[in-house]
Amino acid sequence: MTSARILAITFACAALAGSQPALTAEQKRLNLESFDFIWSTIHDQYWDPTFGGVNWTAVRDEFRPRIEHAATMPEARSLMGQMLGRLGKSHFAIIPADVYGDLDSHEDAGGTRTAGIDVRVIESHAIVTAVEEGSPASAQGVRPGWEVLGIDGTELAPRIQKVAEVYRNSTMRELYLARSVLAKLAGDEGSEARVQFRDGGGAVVTKEIGRIRPRGSLAKFGYLPPNYVWITSRKIDGDIGYIAFNMFLDPARLMPEFGSAVHSCMTCAGMIVDLRGNPGGLGIMAMGMAGWFIDKPDQRLGTMYTRQAPVKFVVNPRPPVYSGTLAVLVDGSSASTSEVFAGGMKDLGRARIFGTRTAGAALPSAIDRLPNGDALQHALADYISEGGQTLEGIGVIPDVEVKLTRQALLSGHDPVLDAAIEWIHARK
Amino acid sequence: MHLRQRLTPVVFFTGLLCFQGRLRAEEPLPKAEEILDKFVVATGGKAAYEKIHNEKSTGTFEFVGKGVKGTMTIYRAEPNKMYTRVDLENIGAIEDGTDGETAWMLSVMQGPHIKEGEERAVSLRQATLREPLLWRKLYKSAETTGVENVEGTACYKVVLTPNEGKPETRYYGKKNNLLLKMTMTVVSQAGEIPTETVASDYKDQNGLLSPRKIHQKALGQEFEITVSQIDYNVDMPKDRFDLPNEIKALAKK
Repeated sequence: MTSARILAITFACAALAGSQPALTAEQKRLNLESFDFIWSTIHDQYWDPTFGGVNWTAVRDEFRPRIEHAATMPEARSLMGQMLGRLGKSHFAIIPADVYGDLDSHEDAGGTRTAGIDVRVIESHAIVTAVEEGSPASAQGVRPGWEVLGIDGTELAPRIQKVAEVYRNSTMRELYLARSVLAKLAGDEGSEARVQFRDGGGAVVTKEIGRIRPRGSLAKFGYLPPNYVWITSRKIDGDIGYIAFNMFLDPARLMPEFGSAVHSCMTCAGMIVDLRGNPGGLGIMAMGMAGWFIDKPDQRLGTMYTRQAPVKFVVNPRPPVYSGTLAVLVDGSSASTSEVFAGGMKDLGRARIFGTRTAGAALPSAIDRLPNGDALQHALADYISEGGQTLEGIGVIPDVEVKLTRQALLSGHDPVLDAAIEWIHARK
Repeated sequence: MHLRQRLTPVVFFTGLLCFQGRLRAEEPLPKAEEILDKFVVATGGKAAYEKIHNEKSTGTFEFVGKGVKGTMTIYRAEPNKMYTRVDLENIGAIEDGTDGETAWMLSVMQGPHIKEGEERAVSLRQATLREPLLWRKLYKSAETTGVENVEGTACYKVVLTPNEGKPETRYYGKKNNLLLKMTMTVVSQAGEIPTETVASDYKDQNGLLSPRKIHQKALGQEFEITVSQIDYNVDMPKDRFDLPNEIKALAKK
């Protein structure tokens, strides 16, 4: 999921190679060890044993001598990145040691405190899209549609511009723009974020916002860092079910709650599953949730291709199945399992997708630390949605593209949700 | 408690084949049925097996290196009824079973599934109590194909072809006659998943030897089952193997 960003960073670093100090003999040795680790990892674990027609042994023979002669770290890193680039796939990247530290802390953000607001970057502006009820931000009058101008003395515009530039050609641009702002808003327990906003009337206001525990319950899964997971459901206009959750995790709690929400609305005119901002989680949960909407057996959301065998993402119908109109809401921060669910349901013709293109980050990947301190990100499998299309680097294209706007949010509207509601009403 | 019955809940996730290097088999190979019969003797003998009418095993289940663990309970009863429940921390329950007719799986994550065809046939075979005595009914052929090392132990390699489904390859210790490894392609709704299972730490319970450590590789992942307790001929509720409501609801459709 982090590959495009990291690849861009790798190449940006390479551009600076001329100004870097020369490598010591020890650093050269560690780079060679790292190179061998990368080559072997791909050789042993890449899902396609033909490497898509690339002669992987020849690639090693070409690049290893060049690594031996690399004069600087950025040059060595760039060569390793170029070797991975021969595969022509995303989710393969070299993460420089300093960047790896940053990413690690950002992606562990679930354990930190938040400002109780959600943000998307809309046309280069960080816009509040949601304010948690009962939060200090809400008490201070922060509202959806307000623009975040600065946090703790840091002006956001240059930060946004920089991230946008790094990801200018990536489907993950929207995801990382939002994350770059949210990471800045997060902080330690008991701390306050000094946030400068442009309010609904255009005035610049500064608020001291106490950071709070993230919404939801702390969920653990294996060695993943703990994450706060929430799920919410309600009825809209009396006969439309609405379900949203922030991650595909905590299945012991989430799955029964999701099922109950569906079953409480079996006669509803429509159902909306909101996956905006949902970065994914356990892929198997996408199949399980689809089972409450699909009554025909042996339907698939897609297929994951591993080195050992293809794995079909089969949906098991969970009677009683909701067979009414179904809308799924997505945006550029919907990634991974969210894309598996939305893409599969779209391909099966079971749901209409509203919003903006998803992050195109569907491959399961792992990150291994290298002997030279950098890290290797590598995908473990390929994933093809049931329609025959890879989601990686493309994302799920909504049936109905609807973008959030500051004006709509300021007037209390959610244009994506509104479009789905209108469509459901029209189908009654 | 046998190696085969532990496959069902595990292979739901998995697959990977890692064949050991082939050794030159210079001596004549014994017939497969001789090896399979010796396994019965080595693990307690026909009479001990025939005393079993049902069995309950408990233990732990772990995704190796992933930090995901849980408990596992398996019930089996003659002739071929089985119920397995794995409770994984922070995930929930995964159940698998058969009443001798319908074979099914149910998980909090993926919902209910009724097995059919080859997948059902595998479940029914795995549920067969006293399977070591009954292999001639379940498999149409058994052939010794060589000698290979498993974890440093020379083993006879026996390929069993079931009446329905794909061949299984079993590795029996040349000296101790115990089943030490099995490879097979497990048919599940996710596809055909190659698996390798290694059994160790055989212990005696009521005159029957069975492995207490089972290590499985599938789809690049590894799983470890540790059996802590096996009880034979226990009081078992009459409805132990009844179909869960979710499966009944699915069957009605």
